[in-house]
Amino acid sequence: MRVTALVILNSAASSSSSPEAADPVVLANATDVSRFGYFQRFAAREFILFVARTVANRTPAGQRQSVQHEEYKVHSYNRHDLCALAFMDDHYPVRSAFALLNQILDEYQKAFGESWRGVKVDATQPWPYLTEALTKFQDPAEVDKLFKIQRDLDETKIILHKTIENLLDRGVKLDDLVEKSSDLSAASQMFYKQAKKTNQCCTML
Amino acid sequence: MCKVRFGVVELEMSSRAGKSTYRDRTQEFVKAVESLKKTAPPAPEVPSLSDALSLDSYNSAASNQSEFNKRASRIGLEIHQASQKLAKLAKLAKRTSVFDDPSVEIQQLTTVIKQDITALNSAVVDLQLLCNSQNENGNMSRDSSSHSTNVVDNLKNRLMKATKEFKDILTMRTENFKVHENRRQMFSSSASEDSSNPFLRQRPLASRGHNDSSAPPAPWESGSSNSSTLFLRRTSTDPSSSTKPLIQQQQQQMAAVQDSYMNTRSEALHGVESTIHELSNIFTQLATMVSQQGELALRIDENMDDTLANVEGAQSQLLKNLSRISSNRWLMIKIFFVLLVFLMIFLFFVA
Repeated sequence: MRVTALVILNSAASSSSSPEAADPVVLANATDVSRFGYFQRFAAREFILFVARTVANRTPAGQRQSVQHEEYKVHSYNRHDLCALAFMDDHYPVRSAFALLNQILDEYQKAFGESWRGVKVDATQPWPYLTEALTKFQDPAEVDKLFKIQRDLDETKIILHKTIENLLDRGVKLDDLVEKSSDLSAASQMFYKQAKKTNQCCTML
Repeated sequence: MCKVRFGVVELEMSSRAGKSTYRDRTQEFVKAVESLKKTAPPAPEVPSLSDALSLDSYNSAASNQSEFNKRASRIGLEIHQASQKLAKLAKLAKRTSVFDDPSVEIQQLTTVIKQDITALNSAVVDLQLLCNSQNENGNMSRDSSSHSTNVVDNLKNRLMKATKEFKDILTMRTENFKVHENRRQMFSSSASEDSSNPFLRQRPLASRGHNDSSAPPAPWESGSSNSSTLFLRRTSTDPSSSTKPLIQQQQQQMAAVQDSYMNTRSEALHGVESTIHELSNIFTQLATMVSQQGELALRIDENMDDTLANVEGAQSQLLKNLSRISSNRWLMIKIFFVLLVFLMIFLFFVA
């Protein structure tokens, strides 16, 4: 489960009716292309940006969308013309992806306010939050609280199952002990009676 | 002159009686009409419903009419078949046994019926267009045009009735399914999460459209929610033929928009809630088992106390034994001495 790229775009100018709609403008970009060979990294980055622009162009305002592209799933969320995209593989849960996009958008709006609306040229400086988000959120549990809760609950359930098994074993052993102790008390009673009998028998001598 | 009826009329009367005895006699009628034209007899007796044909402009009118009648009769037959399938579906949906759920057949039948109804929709629309074009051509009498409009309206009404029945059957089916799921939940311990899904899914469909490509749900659920929302919208507008082509577009839209982000979130929440319930169950079971085993421990304790008492008693007995045995020797010595004394006295008396 990995996240390959996170991109934020300004898709204000994209409207389906105008044929010469301006492409969405990249506002922030974080890509993890370490999987590719050294010479392919630049091409991969360009490819990611291009697909990001296309998908952001096609996502209507206020909507979420998921597109399957080769082996990547691209999730995009367009909120008031600020579009966030995430490229991830198929195993990443979709809901966590959208939660991640929500969080990124919130952070961006907190950090930059509304200044991004006027930006017409692709931003070239990386945004540190995005890059660390990319590394931090490789595991969906970090970003999606529900996922983390579900995972913790499942672990707790496993532990409880093991506990109940141990308890059953304890029950079996206790049963065993009960048997043995009752045998022991019967034997001691026989011993007592025998001793009393030999005691009484000996008085004549 | 034999009485000749329209194939349509015969079909309508037979389908109303519930039998599917359809005989298409339009060919015979056309032949009879042509023969009539040749011999120019007095007006043939026709039933009141078929007073459409006038003696002039037979050819074009006849061919138009026969085309119209053929299609109308075919549509009527298909409507009848669709209503038969609806009756079968109603019977299947009414079966409320928990274990023998024919959901696969129901879903298949539902899709088949939906396809039939959409095909019938388009056929009726075409028929109405043909009727309008014929009316505008102007070479039909007033009665024939009124007859054709009557036929088209009749077919439309029957189709609407059939679709309303379909919607009722589907709502009944979803209610029954909900009841099934409740019963199943009572008897089994695993929580099922898709009991409320068909109704949950309708809300985001109604509020906003989302595009998401996660795994699709069970198709019959989507089918039922599709058609129930579709028919809710249909009955709110007036039942004209213009809404019928829209149904197909709405259907495709909603099939694409099925699983939205909100759905997955609500499902995740339900999952978390059910996990917590299971955990609470496990904890209570744990508590009962521990208390039962506490009882066992008490029994063991009692047994050990008994054993201890018995062994102590036996030990005291043995000690007494020992003391008596050891003290017995002393007694024996004393008895021997007494015996010796008696012996001495006996010896003294005798000697």
